[in-house]
Amino acid sequence: MNIPIRMIGLATTFVWIFLVVFLVSAVYSVRDSQFDLGKPQVSVTMENKLLVSLPINIVNNGYYDIGAFNLTTEILDADGFMIRRDSTFLRIISRGGKVTALHDVTLNFDDLLDSSEDYLFNDTDLTVAAFAGMRIAEFIPVQVSTNFSLPWGGPLYNFTLGEPERAGFNLTHFRVTVPMSFENHAFFDVIGNIQVQMYSSSDLLVGDNRTSIEAPQHSMYNGRVEFHVPITELTSRGRFNVYFQTSFFECGPLVIHYG
Amino acid sequence: MADGKNDFKISFRKITLKALKATIKAVLFHGLYLVLWMFLVPISGIVPGFQQAVETFVMIMTILIFLGELTSGTIFQHFFNAAKVLFTICYLFFSLEGGILGISYQNVNLVVDLRLFLAIVVLLSLVEFAKSILQAINYLSEKAEYLPI
Repeated sequence: MNIPIRMIGLATTFVWIFLVVFLVSAVYSVRDSQFDLGKPQVSVTMENKLLVSLPINIVNNGYYDIGAFNLTTEILDADGFMIRRDSTFLRIISRGGKVTALHDVTLNFDDLLDSSEDYLFNDTDLTVAAFAGMRIAEFIPVQVSTNFSLPWGGPLYNFTLGEPERAGFNLTHFRVTVPMSFENHAFFDVIGNIQVQMYSSSDLLVGDNRTSIEAPQHSMYNGRVEFHVPITELTSRGRFNVYFQTSFFECGPLVIHYG
Repeated sequence: MADGKNDFKISFRKITLKALKATIKAVLFHGLYLVLWMFLVPISGIVPGFQQAVETFVMIMTILIFLGELTSGTIFQHFFNAAKVLFTICYLFFSLEGGILGISYQNVNLVVDLRLFLAIVVLLSLVEFAKSILQAINYLSEKAEYLPI
């Protein structure tokens, strides 16, 4: 019985040594590897979606392959609801290899506006949750997670329609002018149309016009919209229904009362 | 009288040799730990409390090795060997938090999944535990008194 017992002892000793050496060398492998995130590049896709590309550079100087590298980012609104989730997966990073990949985050305004239209008119902070996972030596799963806030600037910040002013146009109609202003706090230019419908106090559509807008990022827009309103239908109180149509988003009606 | 004195001398020499052997084994084990620690230094930089956990483990293991060697040739040696294995399983299980090790630094959370590693270690320790039991059975069978039929 002594020989089998000794053989068991010998075998377990070898496995112990192998395990310790493997664990230590795996830790050294991680220490010798480099994980870098480059500067994000912002562009616009063919479908008019915002595309943020984050370059990932991985240099595996370790003793083992790195398997199942996965980078996931989630964009959450102020209430913690997920707006967008994107993932990048690299099956294997070979020992001594260097990999460069792009992690693309596509931001569709429809997704954002589904959450709240306040994103057009107010500045807020979005939360970005990032998770990076991999299998060290294709054996030990590791996950790193972090979150940070992403300042969001409203493209139609402080959108206001001023008090309408009237002037005679002809015997039957007034020319009504409404000043319009907003600040583009977004990191993209706002180019498109604004359609304004004017309703009298009796809920009658008395004027409808559209104007084109062009507001570069971080700039103030001042403009006006004009209507030709029948004299008999103009009331001192009423409301405007405003519709926005730009390359990035479409929304409306935004109801603004006057008078 | 002379026989009694000789018996005492022999017993004393035996115990002294055992104590010496146990001390040498414990010192060698501790020396091995010190050598290995040089390679484990990078981990202690990443995992807070790692050094303290390893030191506690090594200290208790050194004591168990010393006691196991001191009681060699008795059934207690096998008890201490079994205790050593069970201690290894329990200590690794609790210190590795069941295999999911989480570390937080500022806004970054690191989670290392060592469940597979822990499973291998537990299996290996169980094999060693079985070995200790077999050794104890072997010891008892060798010491068994044969009665005339």
